Amino acid sequence: MTIAPRQPDVAMRLKRMGASHPTRLSFLRALIRRVEGERWRLARARFELDDDGYGQAVYSLRTPSRTYSLVAFSTRLDDSRRTDRVIADAWDSSFVLYDGLPDAAELTRLQANVPLQEAGRYTARELVLARANKSVRQFMAVIDALAKGEQPDGQELLRVGYLLRTTAVYGNGKFGIADRDEFADRPEFSGPFQAEMLTVWLIRAFAFDLVEHIAARRNPAAARLAPGLRRALGVGNATGLGMAPFLVRHPVLVHNWFAARETALARVRSAPDAGTQECEAFAAALLEFQARVAVWRTQDAQQARACEALVADLELLSREAPRLLREAQPWDALYRFAEAHFSLEGQEACVALLLEPHGALVDDLCETMSADERHGHRIDGGMTCGAMRVLVDEVYGWANAIDFATPAANARFWYVSADKLEPRLGERFEEDGAELEQPLAVARDALALARALAEEDVQTPLAEFLARRPEWRHVARRAQTAARFPYAEIRDNLIGADMRPVDILRAKLAFFGARNFDPRSDRWLRITLFSGEPGIEEICAGGRAA
Amino acid sequence: MIELSLNEVEALAARAARGAGFSWGLADDVGRAARVLAGDGADWSASLLALLERAPRLVSPGAREGKPLCPVRMAAYLNDAPIETSALALRDVALPVWLDALLRTQGLWRVETDLRAATADATLTRGASAAPPGARRAAISRCAYDALNALAARLYVPESDRSRTRGAGGGRVDED
Repeated sequence: MTIAPRQPDVAMRLKRMGASHPTRLSFLRALIRRVEGERWRLARARFELDDDGYGQAVYSLRTPSRTYSLVAFSTRLDDSRRTDRVIADAWDSSFVLYDGLPDAAELTRLQANVPLQEAGRYTARELVLARANKSVRQFMAVIDALAKGEQPDGQELLRVGYLLRTTAVYGNGKFGIADRDEFADRPEFSGPFQAEMLTVWLIRAFAFDLVEHIAARRNPAAARLAPGLRRALGVGNATGLGMAPFLVRHPVLVHNWFAARETALARVRSAPDAGTQECEAFAAALLEFQARVAVWRTQDAQQARACEALVADLELLSREAPRLLREAQPWDALYRFAEAHFSLEGQEACVALLLEPHGALVDDLCETMSADERHGHRIDGGMTCGAMRVLVDEVYGWANAIDFATPAANARFWYVSADKLEPRLGERFEEDGAELEQPLAVARDALALARALAEEDVQTPLAEFLARRPEWRHVARRAQTAARFPYAEIRDNLIGADMRPVDILRAKLAFFGARNFDPRSDRWLRITLFSGEPGIEEICAGGRAA
Repeated sequence: MIELSLNEVEALAARAARGAGFSWGLADDVGRAARVLAGDGADWSASLLALLERAPRLVSPGAREGKPLCPVRMAAYLNDAPIETSALALRDVALPVWLDALLRTQGLWRVETDLRAATADATLTRGASAAPPGARRAAISRCAYDALNALAARLYVPESDRSRTRGAGGGRVDED
């Protein structure tokens, strides 16, 4: 029996999205597989840092057909200026992913711009722009230990989980860097966010080199960071509200991500039996998952409770899995057991665990996760207003459960602040600015469109309606897109009083491959990327400077 | 001059169009059309400022009132509508360069007109225009850049203490 994918009414609810875990389809996992498979080679082309680690470094990476470089600038930063918010204007380190190997003139140009980040200007040679701050707690502690010839306190170090944390990673034409269209036809960057993930992976290598360099300048006999610690440490990231509007603004892309994951899960659940190899790989993945959850640190009360439930779920899973995997369609039996007995956090962990042993069955779906969003632009204005109303009712039927007559359902509004264009969330009934609301109240607006359509003659073509009422144009366009791409919409109220933006952020970050989700308020969270994964410097060892 | 990526052109044009009063959906269309013009190597920013300055005095299709026709609203209608005829004649189209650019985003109509005119008649026939956009970067003068950003800034909520502390952050920061 073929098991159908979980429907959008299940997969696209905010609470479940907020329990997402990375899977083997996640973007950084896809990148690691490619880099390993194609035997890319990494070399340190320049490493000109002073005793305190300030200066510049260039890492060159050779793919089978091209060279890319991470150009890193490490600068002195007063502690009082270190903030993760978009509104910061200085950072400990700044980076670009450069197309090729920069010569001296290019490095001079980059030196004059990259440390300024948004205040600099860039060219099509720069594919990604990023910056990072040091972990105040761990960066110096690691150097102190290494300089004494010792290893840092692993428990303390992994409580934080990183040495550098990025506070922004910009792609796709921002501030003059290359448009994604410019290089999306290169196989290595055809998947979503591959250039951004590559940049972060290279920043991780730089962070290790940076602490070892400073320690070695203090003491030539300094220790190197132990391989186990290197493996466990990721790159931190502070993720703010800006990612939430991104997901809402890219409905086709969102559909492709969720459709790929749900298709993968359905394929695994449909498998008639479980091979010995898959069962062993599943058991290993479960053990590793449990070990990671044991060191997952968060001070967010809600996340802490979710983690406790997850620990219990995984214990039950490890007890029950041997029995369930002997049933017919064993992976489906396992998933249905999770659905019946686990928290959302546990159910979504189970999704990741089910995919893990099944690379041969699901990895091809990575190729379906990017999107040409021009397809979502055409409005079929030949549709009658009557038919359009039926379409809106079908696509947004879930929104009828929200009572927008109540203040709680309208409590928030999304806006862009004049301060560095930081995306923010306001309280509609307490703050000024709601007249400048961004068009992210999808459910409310879809229901309002349905009401406006109801006032039209059912035979009136949509094109005529939109010519008279252009204020509905974006809502109509979105509804027609969502009708073709069922996983396009988050099926919850994005302006409700009880909405937690971190749920949206977590869903996106899980697709990136993030771990150790640690909400710091309802609207930003810390994560790590590449923790537990091999270093690019390990996988690509043996390169020579180009 | 400032060099922009085409995504910056599209984003800036869409925000400026919204700031100047176009609806969200039409502003998106203006953004895509600006990208087409920039791809031509045309002076898209001067054309955009001219459009946004005149837009409040232009009329939508169907309501002529003797004023020039808004090229954005007309093109949006033509891009959406299932029109049977193979050719159309339009009178008094304001800044027909925008009619042409918006129609090229969908490739359903070819436009014959004086693309440099402030207002002109246009003849439309079925089919996509030749010559896909060539330029991959765009240029803009500092003056036009500031003017478009000033229009875009109408969408931004002014800074306040409450907004700064609660709008995006909250919680504990930076002690790691």
